[in-house]
Amino acid sequence: MLAYVLRRLAYGVVVVFGVLLLLFVLFFAVTDPDDIARQSLGERVPQNVIEQWKQSHGYDRPLWPWQDWDDNQLFDHYAAMLSFDFGRRDSDDTLISERILKGMGPSLSLTVPLFVLGLLLGIPLALLVAFFRETYIDRLGVFVCVFAMSVSVLLYIVGAQYLIAKLLRWFPISGFDPDPSVVVRFLALPILVGVVSGFGGEVRFYRTIFVEEGSRDYVRTARAKGASEGRIMSLHVLRNALIPILTQVVLTIPFLFTGSLLLESFFGIPGLGSLTVDAIRGNDFSTLRTMVYIGALLFVVGQILTDLSYALVDPRVRLE
Amino acid sequence: MRSEGMLRSLLTAVLASALALAIASCNNNPYPDDDAKQKVLYTSFVDAPRTLDPAVAYTTASHAITGNVYDTLLEYHYLKRPFELIPGLAERIPEPEFLEDGRVRYRFQLREGILFQDDPSFELGGAGRSTRPVRAEDVAFELQRIADPAVNSPVFEPFSNIDGLADFRARLVTLREQEEGFTDLPLRVQYRRAGPVRGIRVADDRGLEILLAQPYPQILYWFSMPFTTPVPWEAVEYYDGEGDRSRFADHPVGSGPFRVVEYDKESRFVLEANPNWYGARHPEWSAPGATYPVEGEADDAAKGRLDPEYRGRALPFIERIEFRREKESIPRFNKFLQGYYDASGIVKESFDTVVVEDRLSPEMAERGISLEKTVAPAIYYMGFNMDDPVVGAAAGVRGRLLRQAMSLVVDSEEYARLFQNGRGVPSQSVVPPGIFGYDPDYENPFRKVDLDRARELMDEAGYRDGVDPETGKPLRLTFDTPDTSPQGQLRFQWFVNQWRKLGIDVQVDATNYNQFQEKVRNGAYQLFMWGWVADYPDPENFLFLLTTAMARSVSGGPNTANFQNEEFDALFEQMETAENGPDRAATIVQMREILERERPWIELFHPENYALFHSWLSNVKPAGISNPTLKYRDVDPGARRATREQWNRPVIWPAIVLGVLAVAVVVPGLVTYFRERQ
Repeated sequence: MLAYVLRRLAYGVVVVFGVLLLLFVLFFAVTDPDDIARQSLGERVPQNVIEQWKQSHGYDRPLWPWQDWDDNQLFDHYAAMLSFDFGRRDSDDTLISERILKGMGPSLSLTVPLFVLGLLLGIPLALLVAFFRETYIDRLGVFVCVFAMSVSVLLYIVGAQYLIAKLLRWFPISGFDPDPSVVVRFLALPILVGVVSGFGGEVRFYRTIFVEEGSRDYVRTARAKGASEGRIMSLHVLRNALIPILTQVVLTIPFLFTGSLLLESFFGIPGLGSLTVDAIRGNDFSTLRTMVYIGALLFVVGQILTDLSYALVDPRVRLE
Repeated sequence: MRSEGMLRSLLTAVLASALALAIASCNNNPYPDDDAKQKVLYTSFVDAPRTLDPAVAYTTASHAITGNVYDTLLEYHYLKRPFELIPGLAERIPEPEFLEDGRVRYRFQLREGILFQDDPSFELGGAGRSTRPVRAEDVAFELQRIADPAVNSPVFEPFSNIDGLADFRARLVTLREQEEGFTDLPLRVQYRRAGPVRGIRVADDRGLEILLAQPYPQILYWFSMPFTTPVPWEAVEYYDGEGDRSRFADHPVGSGPFRVVEYDKESRFVLEANPNWYGARHPEWSAPGATYPVEGEADDAAKGRLDPEYRGRALPFIERIEFRREKESIPRFNKFLQGYYDASGIVKESFDTVVVEDRLSPEMAERGISLEKTVAPAIYYMGFNMDDPVVGAAAGVRGRLLRQAMSLVVDSEEYARLFQNGRGVPSQSVVPPGIFGYDPDYENPFRKVDLDRARELMDEAGYRDGVDPETGKPLRLTFDTPDTSPQGQLRFQWFVNQWRKLGIDVQVDATNYNQFQEKVRNGAYQLFMWGWVADYPDPENFLFLLTTAMARSVSGGPNTANFQNEEFDALFEQMETAENGPDRAATIVQMREILERERPWIELFHPENYALFHSWLSNVKPAGISNPTLKYRDVDPGARRATREQWNRPVIWPAIVLGVLAVAVVVPGLVTYFRERQ
């Protein structure tokens, strides 16, 4: 197993290196360091101020190693990321590491309940729909799921803000207050939107697994022995369907830390998703590369964890 | 059994009460309940300012904070237009003293006993100290910071007129480069070593003399901006970003009417009334910058801005200002409509429901919302590169006629209607409304639409029906722009279509900003669209854009049209230093006539800002330029609370409809299933 993990880690290093290179190439293919400076300083500043800003932030140096092997931005980009020295944000010179630590709380307070509620609602609903398979409820469930998957998250956001915050007036339209006594009021709406917008895909995915599992021989045997449908579904089908569910779930867990781009942005939650959106909008290369790098690392970790969890829950799986 | 039943009843009662309580406590108010009784102003921001360092901050977002935290020596009268300077921290507006050697001196006298806000950084000056008096040397220190290349202030250029400030800057650079350990010295020691500056003399604690190398009366306007505020050296040294200390750029320490008590860039800023402010400590002074004005413009009384309740009263009226981050415009606007923001702009998605026929819609008016339109001291224009052989000065009379003809087919009103929701006053000249020299009766003969006259001019220029006689094909011009957005392309195509009426074939060449700048640097452009927002309300700040000294091809300055006209330059020199009065107005008219004839610009429009305010917010007069306006505003928390309650009563029928719909969908399924099972 160790050899397998090491091999996957080596693949992961290649992936992360590739992601960092791709980000650098794509970013500077469309953005000039002058643009980064101008975004930070404003349109009206004189050119000499821009030049000085570039100098103080290291953007005045050659981009590529073939322009200057000893002093170029690409090598520095790798050095900074691999040493986890993320530096300061281009937009306002604040420490990126501090901002990430600060944003993690709001992000997790949104994504963890979203994740847990998604599972708690998604799996039973999928079981229910699979239980009623080939009936009106199954067909209705599939229709609702496909419909829910087809609707843009933006529509859910705007619709929920209109219906729940503007008409029913149950929760604020947007905002965030970390005070534990009131934070739920600000998180309720984005969590609701997140759960509703995600449940279609999840329920349909789990239903497919349950239905497939329900058609296996051992289920038929259980039925022949007189086991009730409820017992079959909850005891046999659910347990054996855990492997593909685990794949989905374990892969998702690392990304809970990176937050939600759209929900945080529209509901004013100062998390890491919001930070990433700001970095994209503001040509903030130093922040963007950090978030992409962290995303790539989490992806690699998620993949390895998924493989390991396979081996843990299914004795037939051997990692070699 | 009995006790079990009682327990069940009790549990049911508790659960029902909890549910009832939860439903009752559900409301969309994003603020704590206690806020409802206080004089809190709620406003929003999209992106946090990059910096609150007054020497560097140069954006509207940052001035919304710095302008209210950092007091200035001078400021603008809140109500009067054109803008009029009044004393702020200074006792009076200094008169220029013209010295024999051509230099000009201004003597500022600070008010006595002004204090900075309380701040831990003042412990650097003595243990247990939480504040100290503002001294003239604090203003001098800030001027030196503006000159310091390490601070990277964007406004050094206008201050370089202070005698010896550029030399000071050069000495500072040299010392930092050549003397080991110099940069480790405290900033004030570095400045002392690189100084003194000939043009900055601290006479005593309250007296400051500024000596300009040559006349520049507009320097006084710069003393009404946060750039020149007194800054305590203690704060600059203490807030160095090391350890738990924040950076000075994120921790303003000023002497203004408000102080920052919370500054979370991602979420919210909170400003509170500063008890150390001179207006709060000395209301008996009735200082102009610390008292609500007693006079204003003709419409100020009608709009309730000269209410006897406020006239002559000590400022500020508001106890706290909450800036909440709202990245998206729709939630922000909806919260304004719910009464949770006191003021708002208008989102483009809702413009037609808010403004009908250029007036506030009846629906909005019914809610007590008022619409305030302000023409910004700014101009958008289409420029010709006067160095170009076809459209520029080198083409002589032919080029001038071509520019005149092209100017005659651009309908600014239509442009503003199509692309600005009508928010723009068509420009007749370079000088916008509210600035000395603006003439509301002036009609530029080349800024009205006259297709026939334009075609005649094209004929006179030798471009009959727009055909270039040299090629026999339509005259081909290039319109260079750094805007590659789809919206931008629509706008530019509109211009192309106007000029096509004259037979001219204009090609839009949209590139990124840097490529555009490269073209400008190389002079490889013909037509461009640009804008300018005034730093201060003086015609000089607009007309200098067309002087030879500012030509891009001469000095890299903002005269991108490269307009060079000796007569215009001579008139500019006269106008620049003249006092506002008939002579200066006459000079501006002469300059206007040159521009009218030569047409280096097609003046498009002066942008108009539309802002909405709730009825409980008083004394609102948007300024358009950097000015501490929040100290004049007031809120009525009682009226706000009552209105919010009225506006935010739940509308529950959608929930009922959705519930019924859900039941209607699910029940048949269940019925069918159980029937099948039977």
